[in-house]
Amino acid sequence: MPPVTTASRAPGPFRLTDEHEMLRDAVRVLADERVAPRAAEIDKTGEFPEDMRRLLADHDILALPFPTEHGGLGGELLSICLAVEQLSRACATTGLILAVQELGSLPITIAGTAEQQARWFPKLASGEHLIAFALTEAEAGSDAAAARTTARRDGDDYVIDGSKRFISQGSVADLVVAFAVTKPEAPRHERLSAFVVEVPTDGFAVSRVEHKMGIRGSPTAELAFTNMRVSTANRLGEEGSGWDIAMRTLDRSRPGIAAQAVGLAQGALEVATAYARERKQFGQRIGDFQQIGAMLADMDAQTEAARQLLYKACVEIDAGAPDASRWSAMCKLVAGDTAMRVTTDAVQVLGGYGYIDEFPVERMMRDAKITQLYEGTQQIQRLVIARSLLGKGG
Amino acid sequence: MRIVVLTKPVPDPASGGERLGPDGRLDRANSPAVVNGNDEYVLEKALKLVEAAGEGEVVLLTMAPANAPETMRKALAMGATSGVLVTDPAIEGSDTVATTRILAAALKTLEFDLVFAGVDTSDGTSGLVAPGVAVLTGLPYLSYAATIEPDTNARTVRVRRITADGYDVLEAPLPALISGTQALGEPRYPSLKGIMAARSKEITTIGLSDLGIDPATVGLAGATTKVVGSQPPEPRAATRVVREAPDEAARQVVALLAERRII
Amino acid sequence: MAGIWVHGEIAGDGSLAKLSTEVATLARAIAADTGGAEVVGIVIGSKPSTSADELARFVPKVLTVTEPTTADHAAGMIVAQRLAALIEAHQPDIVMTGAGPEGRDLAGALSALTGWGVLANATGLTGSPDGPVATHSVFGGKLLTESALSVGKGIVTVRPNSVTAEPADSAGTVEDATASGDLAQPTVPVVERLPAESKAASIDDARIIVAGGRGVGGPDGFGLIEELAAALGGAVGATRAAVDSGWIPYSQQIGQTGKIVKPQLYLAMGISGAIQHKVGMQTASTIVAVNRDPDAPIADFADMIVIGDLVEVGNAILAELRERKS
Repeated sequence: MPPVTTASRAPGPFRLTDEHEMLRDAVRVLADERVAPRAAEIDKTGEFPEDMRRLLADHDILALPFPTEHGGLGGELLSICLAVEQLSRACATTGLILAVQELGSLPITIAGTAEQQARWFPKLASGEHLIAFALTEAEAGSDAAAARTTARRDGDDYVIDGSKRFISQGSVADLVVAFAVTKPEAPRHERLSAFVVEVPTDGFAVSRVEHKMGIRGSPTAELAFTNMRVSTANRLGEEGSGWDIAMRTLDRSRPGIAAQAVGLAQGALEVATAYARERKQFGQRIGDFQQIGAMLADMDAQTEAARQLLYKACVEIDAGAPDASRWSAMCKLVAGDTAMRVTTDAVQVLGGYGYIDEFPVERMMRDAKITQLYEGTQQIQRLVIARSLLGKGG
Repeated sequence: MRIVVLTKPVPDPASGGERLGPDGRLDRANSPAVVNGNDEYVLEKALKLVEAAGEGEVVLLTMAPANAPETMRKALAMGATSGVLVTDPAIEGSDTVATTRILAAALKTLEFDLVFAGVDTSDGTSGLVAPGVAVLTGLPYLSYAATIEPDTNARTVRVRRITADGYDVLEAPLPALISGTQALGEPRYPSLKGIMAARSKEITTIGLSDLGIDPATVGLAGATTKVVGSQPPEPRAATRVVREAPDEAARQVVALLAERRII
Repeated sequence: MAGIWVHGEIAGDGSLAKLSTEVATLARAIAADTGGAEVVGIVIGSKPSTSADELARFVPKVLTVTEPTTADHAAGMIVAQRLAALIEAHQPDIVMTGAGPEGRDLAGALSALTGWGVLANATGLTGSPDGPVATHSVFGGKLLTESALSVGKGIVTVRPNSVTAEPADSAGTVEDATASGDLAQPTVPVVERLPAESKAASIDDARIIVAGGRGVGGPDGFGLIEELAAALGGAVGATRAAVDSGWIPYSQQIGQTGKIVKPQLYLAMGISGAIQHKVGMQTASTIVAVNRDPDAPIADFADMIVIGDLVEVGNAILAELRERKS
């Protein structure tokens, strides 16, 4: 029997609990009062907002993804995404700080030993340390399994050589989870191992920080590893399990990007709606013209649809759905495309004013593009979903 | 120091979702609820006092329909230690007399140094329950508190009571019952830590039989008042919008006041 | 109904609270409705005679109880116990108090002492053979309900400004009464009395209130509000935003967590009219708003809204009022 695709691991009416709403509201208040006033400046200067990172740490927001026994709040995926969404509404760069903290630490959650978790989680939970996820290379983007960075066993260490590209927060992280080839001759998906690099360390260098279209405050780095020694005690899981760790990480981290996208869309929708209420042309407010009203209506409906899919995906993934990959890919696919469409339309609604930096929508549009690219391009998401629907070829 | 805070879930005034049941009384089970505004002020004061003392507990006492734990979560997220919920289908439709009896009976099962209550609630604004509970429990009653200063060594408490002319400073031995106002200070927003910790805090549920109260004497059956009618208020006449310059606008305002014999 | 009692609340200076004169007027009206129930005023305090004489202008008979402990103790609980003893002795059917802080403390304690039900916060009261029927405004003013006592005996608390006080045609008598016995409830001493931070006129029963909101901009802005209040002979009110910003004390706050008022005129300067404030003032007879924003919620329920700058319009109103006087 083909699998019933509407079967749910988390059946029953879905609604946010009071706790989720409290959490969402607490972050929203913080985002409105403390983050939003900084967003334009962060984009303009392109500097990593240390003050925002401290703000998130002080309010225990960075503690959300971590277990309580290590000083975390034990938040499940939905709670983390609610926080990312509210922060991203105000500033996508700031929302990303939480999303990347989750992304980078997932390999440790998935494959780390109790000792390793005890070693690294406390300072990640407190926000004293930031962590980055280094899988992508110049020649290994969508085809991440083609990574060429090597890790050669030498006594109690591995010696790592190679480079990573497009690593979010790679230049400000204290810990970098790097994936390197430990068994070159092994089958494709058994070549890689995952290592936690504690920075600074000999042989680790940030060779470049990109100038980007959007999320300008988030440093995207190229990392160079030259004879870099990493203890075997810092390897996550068995040798050769790196690919599996990476894929399972992305299954849980993609909703974070979807949350960033939904937040961006919502922020843009709010600016566009407020503008359409106030701006008058031809003797009436522009929101009352059908062409504008229709655009806003579509923006609202699409944002809400992306949001509901995101929340549902979080609940399914946390409930252990066997098709977690499909949920993860779907919510990111829909949310990313929605963010791009809604932010673009927001610029359109504002007309000329949407194009200048007097209003935030041009920044939101530039910020939105990345949600269609990182943590797997939209094309990769579609591949994942199709594979889930069709099963492996015979 | 152990402080019991009487908290009441009330219909969210901002939501407009209040519904009347067939008996003409508020259908609490089906109206979206929040913690009563004034209760948040006394709760905040209780939390601050316990924090300043470095030890102690804040216990919520609520009489409400069975779905109340969700509303109590916010109070727990603010930092209350635990909650006691008195719930029973027979309680529905209770008037202030029954409410007072039930809360007093519940208080008798608890140990405390202080009991705090909001001066009134946004859904009934009667202000009758706190003094009634004081009578039935025999606790000293200090009301309309703008400040609350307990002295745990001397086992006394001092309260500045708001009066029409200023403040009366009252003093009583512990344990005492105090009703408090917004003047006590802005309630904190629950921290993320508090929100997540609330999920593991305990809410004990008790019913009328636990309190030895006969169901027939409370609820709608035992009510001393009854709703005999309801209607929407008289619609106001359409608003006159005045956009003229200040001088002309002022003339119109004063003309209206004269027309209505206000001046 | 046999006996309707009116509690006469004694103000800080020994005079009768204005609210009690309104309650007394209402009591006479429902007594008339039901063909001659006996209306009796009750004044209990350390020095009750001034209040009693004033209350006697409104009701045919006043009983006074001299209770020295109320001079330097929280009075509500003491008065309630004495009143309960009087009720036991004289068996009235209805006891009416004001629904201000003192009246509510009294009514709540009295209800617990007697087991009597309470019709609370009545904005209107009519008499019927089965007892009084009270009108209440609920759900933030969205609905009016009528309620009655199940057994015809009970307590009624009455909102300020629900009726206009009217003295009776001739003054009533004042008699001493005794209500002795132990006070079983703990008495709470007043160890000190402090003046209010501001000498602002009380808004509880003000006939006219001029209120300022966020639009006033700061404590100095309230100077204009005070001038307007003085020119109109009213009191100064404020929204929670103004109080939270520290521009004006909490005693002047109107709204859900402040006071609920029912003046004849509410002049709202720079107030948006959000629900938390609206519930505090929407039953005012006349509402005039001044606001820059024509879409402010208050525009939906005000009798008149002036779209403009509150300082300019406020000063223009002051000028217009001065001109009228001259």
